[in-house]
Amino acid sequence: MHSRSHILTPFTEKLDELDQSLLKIGELARRNLKNAITGLFERDDDYCNNAIADDEEIDLLEMQIDREGLYIMSRFHPVASDLRSVIAAMKIGANIERVGDQTVNIARRARKINEHPAVEELHELDQVIELSSKMLEEALRACVEGNESLALEVKNMDKELDQLNKELNERLILRMQDDSSKIPIYLNLIFISRCLERIGDHAANVAEDVVFEVSAEDIRHLSSSQISKEV
Amino acid sequence: MTSPLASLPFSEPFADDVVCDQRFIEVSNFNFFYGKKQVLFDINLTIPARQVTAFIGPSGCGKSTLLRNLNRMNELLPGVSHSGTIAIHGISIFDPSIEVIALRRRIGMVFQKSNPFPKSIFENVVFPLRIMGKQSRSFLEETVERSLRAVALWDEVKDRLKESALGLSGGQMQRLCIARAIANQPEVLLMDEPCSALDPIATAKIEELIVELKKEFTIIIVTHSMQQASRISDLTAFFYLGKLIEFDQTQRIFTAPIQKKTEDYITGRFG
Repeated sequence: MHSRSHILTPFTEKLDELDQSLLKIGELARRNLKNAITGLFERDDDYCNNAIADDEEIDLLEMQIDREGLYIMSRFHPVASDLRSVIAAMKIGANIERVGDQTVNIARRARKINEHPAVEELHELDQVIELSSKMLEEALRACVEGNESLALEVKNMDKELDQLNKELNERLILRMQDDSSKIPIYLNLIFISRCLERIGDHAANVAEDVVFEVSAEDIRHLSSSQISKEV
Repeated sequence: MTSPLASLPFSEPFADDVVCDQRFIEVSNFNFFYGKKQVLFDINLTIPARQVTAFIGPSGCGKSTLLRNLNRMNELLPGVSHSGTIAIHGISIFDPSIEVIALRRRIGMVFQKSNPFPKSIFENVVFPLRIMGKQSRSFLEETVERSLRAVALWDEVKDRLKESALGLSGGQMQRLCIARAIANQPEVLLMDEPCSALDPIATAKIEELIVELKKEFTIIIVTHSMQQASRISDLTAFFYLGKLIEFDQTQRIFTAPIQKKTEDYITGRFG
């Protein structure tokens, strides 16, 4: 992720290990999300069950990242970019763990939907899935590459995702009025959309942490125009 | 003839004079040479009053040389020369009319290795006052108590002021040297790695003392400990190969330095 060459080799090694853990938790979260979505669209509970079971590994990795970060802070007293790297890694780890939790929620709802006959409305989720997955992918890529501009793009996608989620909710609520027999399915779809929207929020948080790591700028709670002034 | 420094408002409170406070010591286009070898290159630095400024950098970067120039200690070495100016309160310390002894009275110094004199604790503290001809017993006693209290040593030694200073621990000796340095109320305290020979507890006491002393004194400290600089200084100057690379708020230097050389040094990447 980062090329480092500290005079003190164990320091470099521990930072590299932290990077590897971050890479791993990101890969797992991405894979689990893919499994949950596949389980939903292919109506295959095995995928959903895998996504649920594998979340434990994400939880353990989050704790491992915290342990590694604390170890580096207590043993090597990192400063400047190293300090930002450790802090960002610990925050990103926590956000990805939340992505894992949302993925578990999606997988559970998918199993419930799979209990019913297939519905065409599943594809109402297409855009939300596409954008939230893209945000997660690109936030993780920005993290690996230390790519500030890509991180900013991810943050800017968040509003669009919120809008897509809102529109989907409105459409499905209208359909509930037309066909009350499908209300349980529609509610689960609304819930899944909400989870995907939350995944987008976490991806945006990861993006903010990447910007902090790269440029030491704190862009949380700033509007787009304020961010363009700051960064 | 009276030294111009004697008439300076050194002992006057200048809290209201923001400009004076912020531009207390001004180093301008300063170059310094040991014989033909140039060791400081075009240093420009403005040090504010009553803050702790840390000089950091690898060995041989010129930080101690600059520190020793601030009270003209380097002039004790043969073959040295300089160009540019160092001004305190806007007055050049190299002005021909400046008395070096008077200057050093205003700018105290604490060295890496504590150097108490083979005298009693009391006599160590009052030594600079005796040189100035102060003889009043009550004044000397008041000064000893005030100075030792300021360095948090009073309670530890008040019952053995007549005993030799050489019987104190390393940390106590260093605090005694600081008490001696502040006995005649200087404006500036220069510290050249004052904790490098001390254990962590003695170091913590000196650091606490430095933070306390900055309420009254302008402190400039040379340190090789990045953690020490980040713990106690308000401003940090990073030197490399005789040049000032970066000078900024300590918080900024240790979280987001601007210069790559600074980043590489403080993160331990320098090869």
